[in-house]
Amino acid sequence: MSQREGSLEEPKAESSISLLPHLEAKIRQTHSLARLLTKYAEQLLQEYVQHQGEPFGLPGFSPPRLPVAGLSAPAPGHAGLPVPERLRLDAAALAALPVLLDGVRRRQAELNPRAPRLLRRLEEAARQARALGAAVETVLAALGASAHGSQGSPTEAATAAAPAPAPGGFSAKVLGLHVCGLYGEWVSRTEGDLGQLVSGAPA
Amino acid sequence: MMSIYLFWRQPSQMVDRKRMRTSNFRWLLSKFVLLYLMVQVTGALRDLKCTTNNLKVWDCSWKAGFESVIDEVCVEDRSYSCHQVEKTNIKIPALPPGDHIMTAKSSHSPANSLSKFILNEKNVSFIPDTPEILNFSADFPTSTLFLEWNDKGSAFPYHVNVTWEIKILRTERRELIKLETYNTNLSGKDRVHQWSWASDLPLECATHYVSIRCYIDYLHFSGHKEWSDWSQMKKIPWSPNSQTKVFPQDKVVLVGSDIIFCCISQSKVLVAQIGSTLCPLIHLDEKNVAIKIRNISVSENSGTNVIFTTDDNVYGTVIFAGYPPDIPQKLNCETHDLKEIVCTWNPGRPTGLVGPRNTNYTLFESFSKKYVTFKRAETFTNESYQLFFQILPDQEIYNFTLHAQNPLGKSESAQLVNIMERVSPHTPTSLKVKDINSTAVILSWHLPGNFAQINLLCQIEINKANSKQELNATIKGVKNADYLIDVNKLNPYTKYTFRIRCSAETFWKWSKWSNEKQHLTKEAIPSKGPDIWREWSSDGRNLVIYWKPLSISDANGKILSYNVSCSSHEETQFLSEVLDPQHKAELPLSKRDCIISVVAKNSAGSSPPSKIPTIEIPNDDLKVEEVVGIGKKILLSWHHNPNMTCDYVIKWCNSSRSEHCLMDWKKVSSNSTETIIESDQFRSGIRYHFFLYGCRNQGYQLLRSIIGYIEELAPIVAPNFTVEDTSSDSILVKWEDIPVEELRGFLRGYLFYFQKGEKDTSKMRGLEPVGRSDIKIKNITDISQKTLRIADLQGKTSYRLVLQAYTDGGVGPKKSMFVVTKENSVGLIIAILIPVAVAVIVGVVTSILCYRKREWIKETFYPDIPNPENCKALQFQKSVCEGSNALKTLEMNPCTPNNVEVLETRAAPKIEDTEIISPVAERPEEGCNTEPENHVVVSYCPPIIEEEIPNPVVDEAGGTSQVIYIDVQSMYQPQAKPEEEQDIDPVVGPGYKPQMRLPINSTLEETAAEDDIDKTAGYRPQANVNTWNLVSPDSPRSTDSNSEVVSFGSPCSINSRQFLIPPKDEDSPKSNGAGWSFTNFFQNKPND
Repeated sequence: MSQREGSLEEPKAESSISLLPHLEAKIRQTHSLARLLTKYAEQLLQEYVQHQGEPFGLPGFSPPRLPVAGLSAPAPGHAGLPVPERLRLDAAALAALPVLLDGVRRRQAELNPRAPRLLRRLEEAARQARALGAAVETVLAALGASAHGSQGSPTEAATAAAPAPAPGGFSAKVLGLHVCGLYGEWVSRTEGDLGQLVSGAPA
Repeated sequence: MMSIYLFWRQPSQMVDRKRMRTSNFRWLLSKFVLLYLMVQVTGALRDLKCTTNNLKVWDCSWKAGFESVIDEVCVEDRSYSCHQVEKTNIKIPALPPGDHIMTAKSSHSPANSLSKFILNEKNVSFIPDTPEILNFSADFPTSTLFLEWNDKGSAFPYHVNVTWEIKILRTERRELIKLETYNTNLSGKDRVHQWSWASDLPLECATHYVSIRCYIDYLHFSGHKEWSDWSQMKKIPWSPNSQTKVFPQDKVVLVGSDIIFCCISQSKVLVAQIGSTLCPLIHLDEKNVAIKIRNISVSENSGTNVIFTTDDNVYGTVIFAGYPPDIPQKLNCETHDLKEIVCTWNPGRPTGLVGPRNTNYTLFESFSKKYVTFKRAETFTNESYQLFFQILPDQEIYNFTLHAQNPLGKSESAQLVNIMERVSPHTPTSLKVKDINSTAVILSWHLPGNFAQINLLCQIEINKANSKQELNATIKGVKNADYLIDVNKLNPYTKYTFRIRCSAETFWKWSKWSNEKQHLTKEAIPSKGPDIWREWSSDGRNLVIYWKPLSISDANGKILSYNVSCSSHEETQFLSEVLDPQHKAELPLSKRDCIISVVAKNSAGSSPPSKIPTIEIPNDDLKVEEVVGIGKKILLSWHHNPNMTCDYVIKWCNSSRSEHCLMDWKKVSSNSTETIIESDQFRSGIRYHFFLYGCRNQGYQLLRSIIGYIEELAPIVAPNFTVEDTSSDSILVKWEDIPVEELRGFLRGYLFYFQKGEKDTSKMRGLEPVGRSDIKIKNITDISQKTLRIADLQGKTSYRLVLQAYTDGGVGPKKSMFVVTKENSVGLIIAILIPVAVAVIVGVVTSILCYRKREWIKETFYPDIPNPENCKALQFQKSVCEGSNALKTLEMNPCTPNNVEVLETRAAPKIEDTEIISPVAERPEEGCNTEPENHVVVSYCPPIIEEEIPNPVVDEAGGTSQVIYIDVQSMYQPQAKPEEEQDIDPVVGPGYKPQMRLPINSTLEETAAEDDIDKTAGYRPQANVNTWNLVSPDSPRSTDSNSEVVSFGSPCSINSRQFLIPPKDEDSPKSNGAGWSFTNFFQNKPND
């Protein structure tokens, strides 16, 4: 059972939340944005891998998941959290992603200065992550939940981590790959979390 | 002995072996001397060895002996000096070259001995001090080791060559990887030397050690020179960073070079690969490994990935393989505005390096010492690069050097230019056109730039319909201003397109063309009046005036109207104003004698008038001529007529049109005698009518009337023709004219074909006269001829008649008709009468002859026939007949004739016929039990011949002895015969039948009936020829095995052949029975 399916009960638990029409519209809008960005994130990952050279993109090549300074992957227990808490985590991750994506874009500008589409996608991804994070925070505010103060934020470890030295080209490629993957995971996770709100909203 | 050995020992490594060889002899001699001396002192100084490390002090040492202890050593030099010895060595100042006597005194020896020996510089070894490494460092990014040491040259106050030997060792195993010799010289002072070396293996991959020694080659020292000891080893201290496991990181290398990568790992490296290619591992210290990439190829933009995979992780690095910058190509420096210089170049071969590794360009001007740096845009790849350099005041000559540099190398390109000769102006802008008058305009344009110091050369392109003109103009240059120029000699009311480009007067390059600017010049009055003509209307009351529209070049504007007036001696009368685009006016004219005047008007004014007299002078002597065009043109010529003072006018029209005849006209001068008429309206196959008018003072006179074609074509229809009259041997044909529209040329004649033939016969379908002898052709070239009589035809015969018309353009289509000639009655009558007359005459003659020879005929053809009943010989034996129905052959042997009654003796031929006796005729078959449907083969039992016949074969000469008759006919009749046919002819009964009774026109049924009758009657005449024709021995029926009848091949008569030959009747049906032939016939006549 997927994590998204595992939290199908959450909307009932949150049924006390009265979704106003404009809130519902905002949720749907944000959900649509997240769904769109999920597709864009897949395209970004494909484009990214395409420009890193072999063995990137070859079957069987899976670089280790290096810790990304500033962001961690969604925790396995993410699905078990209440929806507002999940959205708070999503918003925190989406807030951290633009900086990471900008860093990836800068390194790619050195490695692949003649790949304008990749650079444009990275730039747009940072902007879109920021926009989606803001939209999720708006939804959280409308739901009466604070966007801050959650425990186990995916960005806490990042802030606590010491700033890493500038990695070499290969590490930069691997790091960029992870950042692009994290971007896709968090956007997809946000889409799923919002999807539960949408499915639980009154018609 | 050890000391001796020491003296003999050669330096392990001699630097100057050559020099040593040259003094070899002297050296040997001295050794012998020294050996002698040493033998003397052996007991006191054992293993004496003298060395020096600075050529100033000799350090002589020896081993202490047990017998004596040396207390003092004295040297006899310039001054005798003694040195107290405390140990087993002594340091004495260096002695000059030559032998020196040393005296060693031993106070502790029992004899207080005194030993002497000779000491020479040659016996001293020069061993420099061990070098001391001052610093040993490394540059890890470049994998370069740096070594510093002091040569301690102050110890040698001379210029001495020194050779340094440096060795590099790697890994904990201290594998020697580099041994290099480094030569310097000592200058009398201490100097620090540096030496560097780039390692192919990244320094991070393994510990590197270094050591050094030296060899001082002092030429004036005659002793032994030896290498110093190796210095103490130094190593590069380095502890690998926990994050960087693979080295080198992000290195830029030349394409094709070899490079080593290593991985510092605590766990075992499983696989190493570059891109997707696996590489063999080179094991270093512990678990560290390396791979060597040979001849690396150019990397993609993001570099080539090198991956090391361990049990639990993947480590990697990126290598950038590319090329050093190519020499900038096609460097060109010029200016567009004399404000800044633009230098462009082509980067040449791509380096394969991008981003921070891409080539940096710097444009340096050597006179001003200024430079500009290229700011790269990564988007473009192989386009021309350019740099801008501000023009400096009071400097015209610039010496540019373009430097290109990337991590792999440098290159440069230079150009020296006089910028005043390298002006390529910008594209002129804001091109404007302003009218001056109808033939002149002013052009203005803007040209940015500071051209005050030069003159500009500008080129103006002037385009109008189907023509282009270029004007060049030199203009004084100004600074950022508009430029003006007049353009004249233009045509009024004409649309022009202008564009302009400029260059410096000292031409270097044209600028690009400016945008085009269209302009319509102003109108002017029409330059001439219209070309006019006039025609009187058919009723002669109105005068129709035609004029042609003025050409654009003559109109000089838009024609608004035409004024028509009539002038005579007395007055000028305005007749009409006709608005354009109408180009004719029909006016009732009261006076027939006036001059018509037409002027064209536009907004600028009226044209000069065109005039034409109205009077037409008659011409009675006028003939219609013919003309055919050449190449779509009509050439008309005429004789010069001095009376024609004005001009000639040729007008023409389509002759087939019934309306007013005027298509166009053309005026030629009065001194012309020919002109060519051509018009787009001319069409091939159309007849045109041309009229040539000559102009006199009073008016125009029609001089010639000509019809013609621009090109003749074949007629498109055939002439209609009819048959006016036919007889038994001739046909009269009449045809009509072809209309001019369908003739399409001048009629040149008709082609008439005729041929026997009937309608719908395949023979007549194609009537091509060529090669057909049965087709008769008549070519009628007299086109006035409209009838044709065809004679010598056959009566009552169908003929096909074909008629075609032709012109010089070809032959028209055919029209055909079938006609049957009448019957020739006289010939028919003659054809009937002559045979009848001949027949009558023959009949009469025959009758007369028969009458006169009747007796003979009777005797010949109808002799009295004896009664066969009286002939016993011809009776069949009853027993034989009753014996078997199947036995129907003539039984010869048992039926022996008793006697032969000879009734009359005749000549053999006659008897032959008359003696044929048919017993069947006399004896019907009722006596035999023969079924009616069966063949009846009559058994003929010849009567017993009393007289033995010697020759039974019937012969013409001896046919009286035996007669055999076989009913041949019955054998060939089908067995199944309808019964009713058997009784058809009741008239025919048994009895005598004359043999000459030949059935004429007998049908098959009749023949069959007769056959049946013959069966019943018994007697059958041999002349029944039908049966002969039906069967033959070769006929299929004759070979029918199912038949019960045995064929005898033919109707046979032994005694007679008269009727065996069928009558010669060609019309006789079935005369050609299959397989029948005369040969067979004769073969079946046994007596023939």
